[in-house]
Amino acid sequence: MDKYNDMPVKLMVYPSILFMLVGMSFGVYIAFNTFVFPDYFSGEYIHFGRIRPVHVGTVTLLWLLSANIGLFFFFIPRLCGVSIWNDRLAYISIGLWWAAIFIGVYSYPWGTNFGWEYAELPNAVWYIPVKPMVTLAWGMMLVNFFMTIANRIYEKMYVSLWYAMGTLIWTSFTLFVGSYLISWVPEGISRVNTSWYYVHNLVGLIYTPMGLATAYYYLPKIANTPIYSHRLSMVGFWGLAFIYSWIGAHHMIHGPISQWLQSISIIFSMWLFIPVWTVVYNIFHTLNGNWKKYIESAPIRFLIMGNAFYLITCVQGPLMALRNVAEITSKTDWTIGHAHVSLFATFTFFAIAGIYYTVPAITKKPLWSEKLADWHFALSLWGTLPFIFSLWVGGFLQGMMWATWADGSNYAEFHNNLTKLPFIETNTEMLPWWILRGIGGVIILFSNILFAVNIFNTIMLKQSVKEPIPQAAT
Amino acid sequence: MSKDNFIHKLDLSAILTIIGIFLLFAIAAIIILFLPYFTEKSWLQPTTPYQVQMYEVADPNFFISSISQGQIQERQMVHYLKRNYTLLAFKEDEYLKIITSPELEKFITRSGETPLKLTSELLLLRVPESNEQASQLRQRLQQEWIEKHPTAEQEGLNKPAFEILELFDPKSDIAFARSTTDGILENWVDKDFVILNEAHETYHSDPGVIYIANPMEYRISKYKMGDKEIWHYDPKGEPITSLEQLTDHPLHFVSRQELIKFGEHIYAIEGCWYCHTDQTRTLIQDVVLNGTESFPAPPSSPNEYIYQEISFPGTRRIGPDLSRVGIKRASRDWHLSHFWSPKTSSPGSIMPSFRHFFDTNPSGTGTLQRGIPNYRFEAIFQYLMTKGTRITPPTEAWWLGKDPVQTLQIIEGKRKPI
Repeated sequence: MDKYNDMPVKLMVYPSILFMLVGMSFGVYIAFNTFVFPDYFSGEYIHFGRIRPVHVGTVTLLWLLSANIGLFFFFIPRLCGVSIWNDRLAYISIGLWWAAIFIGVYSYPWGTNFGWEYAELPNAVWYIPVKPMVTLAWGMMLVNFFMTIANRIYEKMYVSLWYAMGTLIWTSFTLFVGSYLISWVPEGISRVNTSWYYVHNLVGLIYTPMGLATAYYYLPKIANTPIYSHRLSMVGFWGLAFIYSWIGAHHMIHGPISQWLQSISIIFSMWLFIPVWTVVYNIFHTLNGNWKKYIESAPIRFLIMGNAFYLITCVQGPLMALRNVAEITSKTDWTIGHAHVSLFATFTFFAIAGIYYTVPAITKKPLWSEKLADWHFALSLWGTLPFIFSLWVGGFLQGMMWATWADGSNYAEFHNNLTKLPFIETNTEMLPWWILRGIGGVIILFSNILFAVNIFNTIMLKQSVKEPIPQAAT
Repeated sequence: MSKDNFIHKLDLSAILTIIGIFLLFAIAAIIILFLPYFTEKSWLQPTTPYQVQMYEVADPNFFISSISQGQIQERQMVHYLKRNYTLLAFKEDEYLKIITSPELEKFITRSGETPLKLTSELLLLRVPESNEQASQLRQRLQQEWIEKHPTAEQEGLNKPAFEILELFDPKSDIAFARSTTDGILENWVDKDFVILNEAHETYHSDPGVIYIANPMEYRISKYKMGDKEIWHYDPKGEPITSLEQLTDHPLHFVSRQELIKFGEHIYAIEGCWYCHTDQTRTLIQDVVLNGTESFPAPPSSPNEYIYQEISFPGTRRIGPDLSRVGIKRASRDWHLSHFWSPKTSSPGSIMPSFRHFFDTNPSGTGTLQRGIPNYRFEAIFQYLMTKGTRITPPTEAWWLGKDPVQTLQIIEGKRKPI
């Protein structure tokens, strides 16, 4: 009998890998069908506006969030030294989770989009109350994880547990705000403000701490070396807790929202450098003197490269909040690039690294092919680079083109600029960048098909080894 | 409780962590989410009485016919009039003369007369029942006109037809009148007007009011074609007597309020907001992009959004901004061809076509290349037409160069932004 029940891990992680491929396929579809060959396949249910939320919902909820929860089911019990508190509760919550989100996300093409960014999940699809179901499932997981932590036998709490606990509390509040509170506050900008508060907390207080908990757990595990500084990780944690919930309004710089809210969000966005750099520093230094492991292990490469992208995205983020930078980058593809660097190149990389360690650990089978994992990393990286740089460069150029309308000193000149360069021409200029983005997307999709094959073959083809995979001390 | 419980098992640092998280979060939430309700009046207050009256008085009482019943016919627009609620004006002009009984005479604003007389009594105009009186008046007016224009015949001018209408009291509490507005802006008066009756509704006491000018009674005729029930507007037909008659089969009228609400829903589910922003930012490029040929659009203000269940400020501008589209693209025909095929109607566009906003054209290869717009088109069109048109009353409109926030002076550097 195993000490830990790993069934919940399998139930969360295995389907999530499949959904990653599905979500990326949707992404590739819209990259080509909307931007490169606009409206090649046209129709009520398959046009950009209806498929984009399916792409976003699949990769954020069905892949990344689910995979991260699956990894929580793996490392929270192991950091506590006890199996998950209640197996049956775990299964029920997982069943509810998949059913509700699956139905919710794949109902978008039939017109159930709730209409708020990242909160597209409808209250109900037909008679199925998907949003309350997700809430209930989350509540069950929350109880389960907290009871596991309460029953732990190791007294000291490792930093990943802190981040996990933070995620559990923040996520509960954030989900409540984005799913329910938003319909209760007065109509108009009050709701918009609430929406951006939710959107940024979703990224900053769910994906970030989940991803960092994952990185802080798996990097020392895989590299078999202790974390560089526990104290530094605490600074990062508290920085996150203090700063993130203030910065939602930076999505509305120059927009119809009060200047003082914009200023607050800009100030706190700048402060984000503190938690981010502590994390980045800490993770890089954990490998100090051990850098040959970067060459030896694909998951470590994913973690370290993810960390590098985390640094990039978190240098970008605060700078994008500055008024003069936002004037150019805001509302362009730069934003899309920024979102993909954080959710794909950072937190998806972290989750992939976690899965590379977790699956052999729970199946007690070695990875089917280390070589394929190397290819997976190489292609992921070389897909990511054209993907995000095309979005950044293209977005920046489009922002600069828009700015040319403001050249001049009187309205006649301004308007003349617009006549010379109409809006639509700034879009047609984007085509080369959109093609490059699509190519990057195809490479990323292909690399992750290799990943899925590798994991699938590990589970199906490999003989399990008698000796469990050695576990490093935390 | 035993010492086995959750709290006791957590060490002090963990408890402090949880309290700390809650505390930091609560402070941020209170300041970011709730403080604005007390400090930011513009988040909750309307821009002008015009905005309020458009959404609360005009929209619920403005009905648009559904044209997706397989019938090709002109879209009909009807005002729903209520005694002691709707404000009416009966105003003559050069070519329109109103005849009536002496007791209703006081409600008519004769040509050249000021102020404009408004009433909340329920009165209507119709084609005069006694033809004799009307034709006598017409002849007299035409005679006067010929005397005034002795050279008309040499200039090839025809004498005007002079529309003669009769003002009458339908003696009911509700009535329906044909709309003479385009359904985007309403008649608005804020100076030189008088309301002849006491104020029954709060909006009657506003500094300006929306009114309905020269309401013609809405009458229809019905007939059968095969097993299809066909109806059409007919000034000599039967008047509509109840709201149900207007909204039920076979007329299927829908209020503009419902259409706008449904349009907002369509905007959400079609994902329009992934490509179109709905905010004119305080940037020169934005006020120029959304401006007219001669005037910049005012930047979006928070109170423009207060009547929307969902607002879509947006994150990405793949298509142009829509916050002033009601002025930039006010043509229904433009939107018809654009939704049907954006790529032909604006070359270079990557917008998908929205053919499901149209029904199949029953006449097959008729004169129309596209299908017949259905209620979804009407809804999204009405929703879009609210954008930028309701910030100020038409008399103060930014597209006429009225500039309450000094956009022009600010972008030309003659004034510092506040």
